[in-house]
Amino acid sequence: MAEPTPRVKLPKSVEAGVPFTVKTRITHPMHTGERHDSDGELVPRRIINRFVVSYGGEVAIAVDLEPAVSADPYIQFEMAVPESGLLEFQWVDDDGSVYSLQKHVDVD
Amino acid sequence: MAPTRRDVLLLGASATAAALIPAGTVEASNGVDRAIDAFTGGAARLEGGVLLDAPEIFDNGGAVPIRVVAEGARRIALFNDGNPNPGVAVFTFGPLVTPEATIRIRLAGSQNVYAVAEMADGTFRQTSQKIAVTVGGCG
Repeated sequence: MAEPTPRVKLPKSVEAGVPFTVKTRITHPMHTGERHDSDGELVPRRIINRFVVSYGGEVAIAVDLEPAVSADPYIQFEMAVPESGLLEFQWVDDDGSVYSLQKHVDVD
Repeated sequence: MAPTRRDVLLLGASATAAALIPAGTVEASNGVDRAIDAFTGGAARLEGGVLLDAPEIFDNGGAVPIRVVAEGARRIALFNDGNPNPGVAVFTFGPLVTPEATIRIRLAGSQNVYAVAEMADGTFRQTSQKIAVTVGGCG
């Protein structure tokens, strides 16, 4: 499997306290553990099971994911920040891998 | 003794009845009720207060866009009643995040999707929507 690649899209700049949209996606097959490959072998479950976004070290949003989430999990949410700061994104894989990304939020 | 016409009809009727009983429980056969109770701790769920924004019919069951909103919620959980497993996702919102989210989910076939919100006061709200998919997403 290719190394999962996370992507996050934020507005270029935001206003203090005004909600903005955060779009996130990571390339990942999200193997459900229910499917068989072309040889008839069961493909073992392997999914992103948790997604956490932190701002200033505090959890902003946490999501627990089940195999019913689509491949290349896409999650979009709205948040507001009081001042410029660092948003940290983490995706946790069933195999223990953690994929991370950081984005700076610039408040006008 | 050869079976009479009445015996045969009765047998047919009871066989039909027996076949109907499990059919009535098929919708919840993936354990969605138990999964929701595990999320709520068995608490009552009031209808309303949660908005589920999803297509009534969608081509690709592999990636059905779902938006859920519940003003005043600290957690929102999504469930299904037609996939092998009833859970979909649980969102936990911190104070900086609006209690709404958009996600793409897999549906093995046409079925109901449930959104259950845990409000700030500890009560639970629920809504559900039937989604028809043309091509199932759990091949």
